[in-house]
Amino acid sequence: MSTSVVAMTVRERWRGMAIGAVTLGVFFLFGMAIYKDVDLSFYEEFPEAVQVMMNIPEGAGVGSLAYGAIYGLYGALAMGILAVLAGASLIAGEERNGTLGLLLANPKSRVQVLVSKIVALLLLLAISTVVLDVVGRLVPVVLDVEIGGMQVEAQLFHIFINSVFYGMLAVFIGAWTGNGGLASGVSIGLMIVSMLAAGLLPLVEGLENYAKIFPWYYFDGSNPVTDGVEWGHIAVLGVASVVFVVAALVGVSRRDLKAQAIGLTMIDRLRANPMTQKMVDRVAGTAKASYIWVKITSEHQILLIAAAYYMFLVGGVVIGLFYSLLDDSLLKLSEQLPETLMALAGGGDMSTPEGYYTVENFGLMAPFIFMMVTVVVGARALAGEESKRTMGLLLANPISRSRIVYETMAAMVVLTAILGFATFAGTSLGSLLSGLDMSYGNIAAISLHLSLLGLVFGGLALALSAATGQVKIAVFGSVGPAVILYLLDAFLPLNDNLAGYAKWSPFYYYSGSDPLVNGMHWGHGGVLAAIAVVLVVVAVVLFGRRDLRQTG
Amino acid sequence: MATETAILAEGLTKHYGDVHALVDLDLDVKRGEVFGFLGPNGAGKTTAIRTLLDEIRPTAGRASIVGLDTHADSVEIRHHIGYVPGDLAMYPGLTGRDTINYFANLRGGVDWSYVDELAERLNADLSPKVGNLSSGNRQKVGLIQAFMSCPEVLIMDEPSSGLDPLVQREFQTILRELAAEGNTVFLSSHTLSEVQRVADRVGIIRQGRLITVETVSSLRSKAIRRVEFEFGSAVEPTLFEGIDGVRDVVVEDRRITMSYDGTMDVLLKVAMDHNDAVVDINTHEADLEDIFLTYYRVDGESSE
Repeated sequence: MSTSVVAMTVRERWRGMAIGAVTLGVFFLFGMAIYKDVDLSFYEEFPEAVQVMMNIPEGAGVGSLAYGAIYGLYGALAMGILAVLAGASLIAGEERNGTLGLLLANPKSRVQVLVSKIVALLLLLAISTVVLDVVGRLVPVVLDVEIGGMQVEAQLFHIFINSVFYGMLAVFIGAWTGNGGLASGVSIGLMIVSMLAAGLLPLVEGLENYAKIFPWYYFDGSNPVTDGVEWGHIAVLGVASVVFVVAALVGVSRRDLKAQAIGLTMIDRLRANPMTQKMVDRVAGTAKASYIWVKITSEHQILLIAAAYYMFLVGGVVIGLFYSLLDDSLLKLSEQLPETLMALAGGGDMSTPEGYYTVENFGLMAPFIFMMVTVVVGARALAGEESKRTMGLLLANPISRSRIVYETMAAMVVLTAILGFATFAGTSLGSLLSGLDMSYGNIAAISLHLSLLGLVFGGLALALSAATGQVKIAVFGSVGPAVILYLLDAFLPLNDNLAGYAKWSPFYYYSGSDPLVNGMHWGHGGVLAAIAVVLVVVAVVLFGRRDLRQTG
Repeated sequence: MATETAILAEGLTKHYGDVHALVDLDLDVKRGEVFGFLGPNGAGKTTAIRTLLDEIRPTAGRASIVGLDTHADSVEIRHHIGYVPGDLAMYPGLTGRDTINYFANLRGGVDWSYVDELAERLNADLSPKVGNLSSGNRQKVGLIQAFMSCPEVLIMDEPSSGLDPLVQREFQTILRELAAEGNTVFLSSHTLSEVQRVADRVGIIRQGRLITVETVSSLRSKAIRRVEFEFGSAVEPTLFEGIDGVRDVVVEDRRITMSYDGTMDVLLKVAMDHNDAVVDINTHEADLEDIFLTYYRVDGESSE
């Protein structure tokens, strides 16, 4: 092990972790403060199944809501994603940057380097967990909330091991393939699928035991926040993590390292084959570099395909099928659900297909996916081009800076339109296959609302990108406000005095009119479109004014 | 726009906070000339070039290219120029041909037969992805995209980095051809020999200040070099005494070595008049730092 590699890795990664932990802490404070003012007596009427699905432990109050819903769901997801992103790039990231060769020119073996980096990652995850623990213990004291028998440390220990599991999975894939995108894609994909499966399968009679196939079950299945640490489950995740680490160490030593090389895509292979070359060239070859917006769109095709795949299949078709599988009694019971609490999961009445779709997809997941695509495009188009030092070359051509901004927005519009269409098609198909009789017009409406919401935060990322030329600022500067604005929209309506302020959040104009039930709200859609347009104008002005960055 | 000036800079200044990257730069590059912009690393060459391209905005002063203001008319200017940035980066996922195609589309078309001709002359392969090319081969793609539109003004920031000597020579030939057709080349470099081979005039920049602009021939005559004479027998250190431009004389038995700036003619005459046979002569170029020192001496300034 090398302490300097550990220190370097910590130095590179601590910011993302710190931002994640602090955001979660604020989220927690916010949540508990609002829960405290809300009458939770309705809560005892909850059907058990719903409580399980919303991650609300039995017989608890303010505390369990905050710990269960916020830490148990968002906290575990966020920690897992941070671990995966860091884990995926431990080796693959340095290969992509071309710095791995330099690092390994020092008298340290590949195994030593990887072990050091893994230690650094574990250290960061542990520190984040401690931060969450301090926040989790401090907030109830400050707010004077009785948390009873909440086993905060047990839950956080489960969260820690859970994030280690996904992080090490990403390290393993990254070490074997050198492909960071693949490593994070597979790991995050598995995490989300297993989270949904572990939550939903137990609700379907006869399928309860299948939940145990999915790793998320071993994080959450034992309700650690009420029942304490379940060492059996910890062991499952722990042993799996150790296996991943060992496999990663073997993998990284065996294969050829890449020297800042570019992977071959399917299209490249077809292009290399003389039989298919002409056809592929016509379809993809020269076309992908014809205009700026086409190039940007084509550069993000993998992200688009993944997002569209999720929106079509999981968020669209599968949720419809699940709804039709769900127990009737559950649906009847859920009619008693208080509106205020359901607003948390995006609002909606679980007993209707529209409500179920909202809770499972349109409330949180769908906006997240749309925003992920647009924010990445907005951040990378200007700032990314600058940080990769290609902006000078691009702007040596007779095109204005504003045209690059406009074409970036055009690419974003195209991407969100495709994604919106995938959402519409998948949800319509889910409704059709399961005989849910949802209005196609309304499905189209929510899809359009989603696209517009995506453009708002993509526009924000673009404006920040234009103003600073820094990818990190553009990403964090739009994701951070997005999280806060989502929370405002979700939590403020729970308190009558504050409900009006929700209108300050773009999410209000996305879901406030419940387009899946009520159809298109052109006024709200117009507000979103107007915000996006204003942000583009801001981006043009700011980008036109400043010096281009030249890093490196 | 029949102006004789291709690139004009007047008092161009760029400060980054306390760092004075460029101080009061005046330049007047004529049409049809190859202008070498010479300076050590960090001298301000790239800052000057990026200002000319409107990538960054000057703190003071102004500049124009083919009579158009570099800021106000920057888009129009780019119809007239080709550019190779220093430390060239391109889109790693695109092939060379895709890259050329992309920029060609942004320019409104290109003569592909000319692109192929350039690729052949520079021995460039446009089919692999740029990210998989070695830095020299990547540089060729960058050169082709700059040449391909037959621009009136070529601005190149250390363009021959990574190229092998054969390709460098071909590259320089292309530059001379373009200049002969009336196009202008603005070429930055940190090696004197490269600039001397191709440029008509040379501007020397150091610590953000333009020290001098000279024709290559006068620079060559001024440029100090290390000169070494070997005679048949031991030689007196006083042999070249009194000749203008001779410094730092070192004698080792039959060998005399000195720094010299002036025409070789003068030295040779003295050597030939010496009553002993000249066995061998060696001269080699002094490095840039020595040349700057000469100019500082000439200007009566001292380097800090």
